[in-house]
Amino acid sequence: MKRIITVTAGLTIGALALAGCSGGGSEGDGVAEDGSMTLTLSAWSVATTPEFQLLADAFHEKNPNITVEVKDYDPAEYNTLLTTDLAAGKGPDIITQKEVKFLTTFQEGGQLLDVSDVELPEGIGGADSYKVDGTAYATPYRQDSWVLFYNKDLFEQAGVDAPDGSWTWEDYDAAAEELAANLDGAKGTYQHSWQSTLQGFANAQNDADLLAGEYDYMKPFYERILALQGDGAQESFNTVTANQLTYQGEFGKQKAAMMPMGTWFVATLISQQASGDADDFEWGIAPIPQLDASTTGTENTPVTFGDPTGFGINANISDDKAQAAKDFLAFAASEEAATALAEIGITPALLTDPVIDAYFGAEGAPQDELSTFAVQTHETRPENPASNKTAAVQNILNDMNSAILSESMSVDDAIAEAEGRVATEVG
Amino acid sequence: MTTTATPQRARRRRSRLRMRNTLLGWSFILPNFLGFATLTLVPVIVLFYMSLTNWNIFGTSQFVGLDNFVRLVNDGSFRTSFVNTLYYSVLHIPLTIIVSLGLALLLNNKLRGVAFFRTAAFFPYITSIVAIALVWNLLFSPEYGPINEMLRFVGISNPPGWLTSANWSMPAVVIISTWRDMGYYMVLFLAALQTVPRELHEAARMDGANVFERFWNVTIPCLRPTMFFVTVMLTINSFKIFDLILVLTNGGPGQSTMVISQFIYRKGFEENNFGYASAASVVLFLLCIVVTIVQFLWNQRKSAR
Repeated sequence: MKRIITVTAGLTIGALALAGCSGGGSEGDGVAEDGSMTLTLSAWSVATTPEFQLLADAFHEKNPNITVEVKDYDPAEYNTLLTTDLAAGKGPDIITQKEVKFLTTFQEGGQLLDVSDVELPEGIGGADSYKVDGTAYATPYRQDSWVLFYNKDLFEQAGVDAPDGSWTWEDYDAAAEELAANLDGAKGTYQHSWQSTLQGFANAQNDADLLAGEYDYMKPFYERILALQGDGAQESFNTVTANQLTYQGEFGKQKAAMMPMGTWFVATLISQQASGDADDFEWGIAPIPQLDASTTGTENTPVTFGDPTGFGINANISDDKAQAAKDFLAFAASEEAATALAEIGITPALLTDPVIDAYFGAEGAPQDELSTFAVQTHETRPENPASNKTAAVQNILNDMNSAILSESMSVDDAIAEAEGRVATEVG
Repeated sequence: MTTTATPQRARRRRSRLRMRNTLLGWSFILPNFLGFATLTLVPVIVLFYMSLTNWNIFGTSQFVGLDNFVRLVNDGSFRTSFVNTLYYSVLHIPLTIIVSLGLALLLNNKLRGVAFFRTAAFFPYITSIVAIALVWNLLFSPEYGPINEMLRFVGISNPPGWLTSANWSMPAVVIISTWRDMGYYMVLFLAALQTVPRELHEAARMDGANVFERFWNVTIPCLRPTMFFVTVMLTINSFKIFDLILVLTNGGPGQSTMVISQFIYRKGFEENNFGYASAASVVLFLLCIVVTIVQFLWNQRKSAR
């Protein structure tokens, strides 16, 4: 009997000890007596995304008593894992905002510190995306915006005039059709299957309110793409999804002469050309085509879209560490950090001349003026407004996107259905 | 004195023995029960409470009574996902039973290389879902896929768009999931077929029953316990279908393959609306329970006959 009780008690204690391993306890404030401290920073794919370690090391070099420890998360489940850690009170001190649409979840849940007092350099892009009712809950360090990549060799081969910064979408369509007609086996353009590839431009260039629940302004954009698909000037949405085509492969292997894409592709293309994963050809970057001529040409500022990547601070951080974390945010937004980021091919949120020089200093980067203009000059409107309704609306618009482009529904019907769903399901 | 003490002692010994056995039994299941309680039982109980709240994971939840359920009734997307789940189940359950039973009957014969064919039929079940999605997407590719190439070859000039068409996406998903599941249910049927008494078949043959009559009047009644188990498991798994659809179509095109589990995932993990997602989970749970109870009652009535 005694033995049984001992076995049972032993098993129970063992199980409870195992269960206890995963919960409870709180981390100390991490400040040593000599004032040195460690800040933790959430990140993803650290091995292949060097920007986090670069910023952490550079900040430590300037502030030897502060160490920034990068905490690696799975990129696909970043927001879910981070949310779980924060809800359990185990979140990092500095919370990297991978997607703007999740900012309000953290902010409304009381997880983010007010960082309005962090001083940001003039001209930095994307800062407004992190403001809720005028209060900043994160600061940007990186901002990719969408531009037009084009293959100079294929344009020459097809005898079509390369983009000169003056293009509207009509010019783009005409060039795509002409390229497809004159090239053997390559399409005129490649628009990836993401909803943002089309809706992002429609929202930004119409200065539309995504949450207003009216989407008629997207109709011309969809009609244009359907026409390009129908004429064979661009790969059909159904083939892109069924064959799981990658945009890197389509442009890098010269299967399309143009491609609207975010500036993160610059670094990818350079490295893929160097490694041989992409063909060796000359390419350039042009401003994204515009809705009308009022924003075209190098004397105007083209309108595009993009969301920043930024850092917020955990609201539960100790007072001692809060100032150090704010110093890190200010550093990450500075010209010094932006230049270091640009050198490794990241598009910083601050695009001053020295930063642009560093950006295009990489071997294999295009050297023409239009490319520099396209990366440096643009009005980048946010893709995702900071609201707790954004995720739900984007899900509905994603359904609309696949219904239209797969030609399962007419443009009018799909837009009407999406408007109805936003009205009844999101409110 | 001694005559009364002995039975008392014996009773005490018996009760101690029973106690010992009970404790021993509990200690054996304790590790498993602790895991079940921590990872399943408690979360399920919490789920019922969460379904009555408005909660975005952080901070405290706000009790809203049955509001989430009222909202579900009026939610067009939930209705669509509910209908799609039923549509999927109605196609998938009978088709999987027919195909897996057919395979089991075929591979129950003494054929050359039967072990190889049994293994081959089981393979899809242990294949990674991501690999299945990738390969079937290519096979079903509307313009360049081999399936449509073949259909064009046999004279069908306008073959279906399969996973890229709102009308055909669900049938395509059903074909793929049947192909994936058939091996597992085939093994269950194969095991059951081994237990069908040979004498019954012989007696039926002597009485002049043909193959179909023997199958219908001997094999099927002998398979009833397995058939019941397979139907219950298939029903529950069909109602819960999620992973395959997520990687194959992500619910699209439009909402044509959006099922209840994906609706729950979207509301919970993409839109951080955990109270509302919990309410939808409760509905799915009740749906599974009700259908399973109906199946049990039906089986009991059949057994009583």
